[in-house]
Amino acid sequence: MSGLVGQGVARVDGRAKVTGAARYAADNEVTGVLHGFLVMSTIARGEVVEIDTRAALAHPGVVAVYTHTDMPKLTLPNFPYNRPFIPMQDTRVHHNGQPVAYVLAQTLEQAQEAANLVKIRYRAEDAVTRLADALDEAFLPIKFRNRPNETARGDAAAALEQAEVRIDQTYGSPMQHHNPIEPHTTTAVWEGGTLILYESTQGVILARKAVSDAFRMRPDQVRIISPYLGGGFGAKGPTYPHTLLTAAAAQLAGRPVKLVLSRAQMYTSNGHRAEYRHHIRLGATRQGVLTAIADTSTAQVTRIDENVYNGSDSTLHLYACPNVHVRQLGVRLDLPTSSYMRSPETTAHLGLETAMDELSYELGIDPVELRVRNHNGVNPRTGDPYAGKYLLECYRAAAEAFGWARRKPGPGTTRDGDEYVGWGMATETHTYGWIESEVGLTIGLDGRATLRAATQEIGTGTYTVLTQVAADGLGMPLDHVTTLLGDTTYPPASLSAGSSTMPSVVGPASQAARSARDAVIALAVADPRSPLYGVPAEDVVIEAGRLFARGDRGRRDSYRDLMARHGRLVEVRGSGANTPGHSFGAVFVEVRIQPRLGRLRVSRVVTAHDLGRVLNHRTARGQVIGGVTWGIGFAVMEHTMVDPNTARVVNPNLSTYLVPVCADTPSVEALFVDRPDPDSTALNARGFGETPGTGVPAAIGNAIYHAIGRRLREVPFTQDKLL
Amino acid sequence: MRAFGYTVAGSPVEAVRIAARTANSTFVAGGTDLLNLMRDGAETHDHLIDVNQLDIGEVAVDRRRLRVGALARMRHVAEHPGVRREFPVLSEALLASASPQVRNMASIGGNLLQRTRCGYFRDSASPCNKRVPGSGCPAITGHNRGHAILGGSDHCIATQPSDLAVALTALDATVHLIGPGGARAVPIADFYLLPGSTPDRETAMRPDELITWVDVPRTALAGQSRYLKLRDRATFEFAVVSVAAALRTRGRVVQDVRLAFGGVGTRPWRDTRVEAALRGLPLTGQAIAEAGRLLVRDAEPYEENRFKVELVQRALVSILSDLGGLR
Ligand SMILES: Cc1cc2nc3c(=O)[nH]c(=O)nc-3n(C[C@H](O)[C@H](O)[C@H](O)COP(=O)(O)OP(=O)(O)OC[C@H]3O[C@@H](n4cnc5c(N)ncnc54)[C@H](O)[C@@H]3O)c2cc1C
Ligand code: SF4
Repeated sequence: MSGLVGQGVARVDGRAKVTGAARYAADNEVTGVLHGFLVMSTIARGEVVEIDTRAALAHPGVVAVYTHTDMPKLTLPNFPYNRPFIPMQDTRVHHNGQPVAYVLAQTLEQAQEAANLVKIRYRAEDAVTRLADALDEAFLPIKFRNRPNETARGDAAAALEQAEVRIDQTYGSPMQHHNPIEPHTTTAVWEGGTLILYESTQGVILARKAVSDAFRMRPDQVRIISPYLGGGFGAKGPTYPHTLLTAAAAQLAGRPVKLVLSRAQMYTSNGHRAEYRHHIRLGATRQGVLTAIADTSTAQVTRIDENVYNGSDSTLHLYACPNVHVRQLGVRLDLPTSSYMRSPETTAHLGLETAMDELSYELGIDPVELRVRNHNGVNPRTGDPYAGKYLLECYRAAAEAFGWARRKPGPGTTRDGDEYVGWGMATETHTYGWIESEVGLTIGLDGRATLRAATQEIGTGTYTVLTQVAADGLGMPLDHVTTLLGDTTYPPASLSAGSSTMPSVVGPASQAARSARDAVIALAVADPRSPLYGVPAEDVVIEAGRLFARGDRGRRDSYRDLMARHGRLVEVRGSGANTPGHSFGAVFVEVRIQPRLGRLRVSRVVTAHDLGRVLNHRTARGQVIGGVTWGIGFAVMEHTMVDPNTARVVNPNLSTYLVPVCADTPSVEALFVDRPDPDSTALNARGFGETPGTGVPAAIGNAIYHAIGRRLREVPFTQDKLL
Repeated sequence: MRAFGYTVAGSPVEAVRIAARTANSTFVAGGTDLLNLMRDGAETHDHLIDVNQLDIGEVAVDRRRLRVGALARMRHVAEHPGVRREFPVLSEALLASASPQVRNMASIGGNLLQRTRCGYFRDSASPCNKRVPGSGCPAITGHNRGHAILGGSDHCIATQPSDLAVALTALDATVHLIGPGGARAVPIADFYLLPGSTPDRETAMRPDELITWVDVPRTALAGQSRYLKLRDRATFEFAVVSVAAALRTRGRVVQDVRLAFGGVGTRPWRDTRVEAALRGLPLTGQAIAEAGRLLVRDAEPYEENRFKVELVQRALVSILSDLGGLR
């Protein structure tokens, strides 16, 4: 091992990205391509009665305008396809902003304008669009992806009844959108019986499944290419209608078709974080020991499916509590199906971690101490003590760096000039998954290595970390290893979602690197032309691409010389299982509030995280900065507004859907415990991407309470709520 | 967006002449608002007349006034030393607007004529009386957090979003125009119209008129001015509530005061009764509070913007306390 793993190596794809050499999905120039543009419904519920395409067809450059009467019949795929229907298969409209016609033209501008010229007559039906209006009809949805919506241990109701102290409150968060900078895009090319899709997707393998199912093809007849993403945040995890419709349009037209969704279309085309209500009840002893947690969430689902995406998993395991009851209810609205959104468990944390803060004031126990008293040392999956969980260490490290010991406990007690200063904290955690993955590794005749895996670079540093892992295992310099991702012709590997990439792919990558290294050593010691001929394999060391005999450094060979002599590629595969789990952390926040104007600033953030072994401090820190920034947006501004009458999104653009700018985000002090998790086969690293940020909205709300004594339970915490 | 024709005008007179003879045409300066409106289908034009070459981009301060050419860029005006010294409220209002990139492109004329940020107005598939007269106003029963509490009608409650216009309103600026009928000047107080039953008519400009420059009288008061902007994120966002204020006191007594408000009115909001209520009185918290109550006396808030009634009064207290040295 060369010690590359763990180093804060800079992005290996950084130069390609900043110079424009990196080819994102829509950058591919396909000869003969037509530009597609979707025509979206303008009603929330009803039927298409008539579509008049004449004016659109007469527009210059327009090649075709397809409607439900033209589209081939497709088969509705299961997950990862995110919708309970395929649009344009019939006349039904299930939500506002649903595709109802597909325009093809020579240029994008022509297609866009022609889309404006398509005239559609609808028969509209009454739509229900507000969660608040339908709460009475909340129901327990069926399992989604095998996960129950009701889970209990012990008897929470009885324990609440008997509890010495109770908290009983409701917390809410609105509809939110992912808004990756790169819009969703698909370019479909049919070549004989095969379909190639240049797709902006977080999962080429899963997308292939959805597409091949829809078109009733064999998976090997579909190739999906997605080497770079300009962000996804869950929006590009599942597969959405526009991908299927574009492939169908290309088939009908007999020409390649490129579709790039407009920003406004992205507010109804790729899921969102559903609006949530969390009713949380805590029971505790006077000493602050939790005796009961009841968490009933209510989320928007649709009239025709009941998928709950933002689960309350962490309520079940974050604290050691014998009586826990979690229910995830749904309310049917005439809105699009929601989806996963970074980080799904944040909605649950807003409730749980605010309720914990409320409990701490109720009991007069420091919020950190309350959490320490309820620390859960038992892995819920196994029932055994965690092999390596350092959450307590996170509380300690972050509290110390923050200066928490100097905190005056009472609300409204700290002033600085004309501002009130408030300190708040919360626990962070998120589930990570394991998705069966393989990687292929080839040593070329030039002695350099290429790693291939059909996982993706979502922007988090997958190319970099896999290159580190491979180079480290091979004993090569970093720049002798090239990593290739995002193509279904590579060995099948993890979806870039659910914090699963590292736990799923690092093990196979490191295993492949070790087998390739062993294979090369075996070649050397068996090669009479090698200075290492006859040396026992276990006595060969490799550093920076050179092979030495241990104890006799004069006997040396190199990958380059050896492979040149060998004249044939060395090709290996790596695979291996891992177990899903959780990463942990603590976030401490300082806010400043100008009380007269209700002006809020987040002025300081300190985090400490336990993610097992840190594979790359730089990319890990990037995740923390990104997660905290998301958390700030979630807490103080993000909010999709849907018109109550038409169910149209009123702010479908980045000028009115606010996300934080630099001035809203202080610099973040990110600490890592960095101790190996013996249970993880990913070089003892755990999945991490979605953990940071999960506690930030609650920590900000808790800091607001500490600053001015006002408890806010619904995000966004806008100025009007602070007056 | 529909295909459109494009001509570069060489002089104001020529620009107006082209406009008058070209149906469904309009001027384009920085294009930072116009092109978005056209892309969103909120405005359609067959022909754009580029006015960026016109020689009306200077910024000059003399003893009597500030003259800002309509083609001066927001950044240029904001950073002009004479503006910063003698008219700080203008510089502050501009620097609190948009982003550096937008300010580098955007012109003063375009800034005054930017359209409302009402989401229904900018969504061509929604009804909107301002965009399609008679189609209705969904904001009144829908999302109206960004909307006006003053000056609205049953037909429209949208705010005019320009920060600069608020500052110019406080300083009694005059907008100079040239059109097919010749040149004229309109005081800023008369420049923006209340929506009434014709919210599609936003200004006193006549067809094919071009803004040439804006004059601001140079007064001691203007030198004592400030802009306070409250918004939902730290920068790069329109005002929820803003106040442009200029104040001159002797001892503690208010000699003169000018106040204009953004984010609360259907046009940059000036209410001279509020100023009169302060003039001649000692500047106290109580006097300001009285003036604030007067300001919102006729306010008509809606479901989501009710808080503005309180917030605008607090903003007034805050800015006058700062300017008057009250603490
Ligand atoms: C992301 C974003 C954020 C923004 N934030 C703010 C903000 O916080 N505060 C704020 O005040 N503004 C803000 N703006 C608006 C911005 O200031 C305006 O878009 C800009 O000032 C318009 O100037 P322009 O030269 O680009 O005008 P254009 O877009 O070229 O034109 C706008 C209108 O003015 C007309 N016009 C232009 N010049 C003349 C003239 N000389 N005579 C007659 N008509 C003319 C055009 O025909 C058009 O109708 C923001 C804009 C963006 C895009
Ligand atoms: S407030 Fe005015 S601009 Fe907005 S929808 Fe109503 S009429 Fe249109």
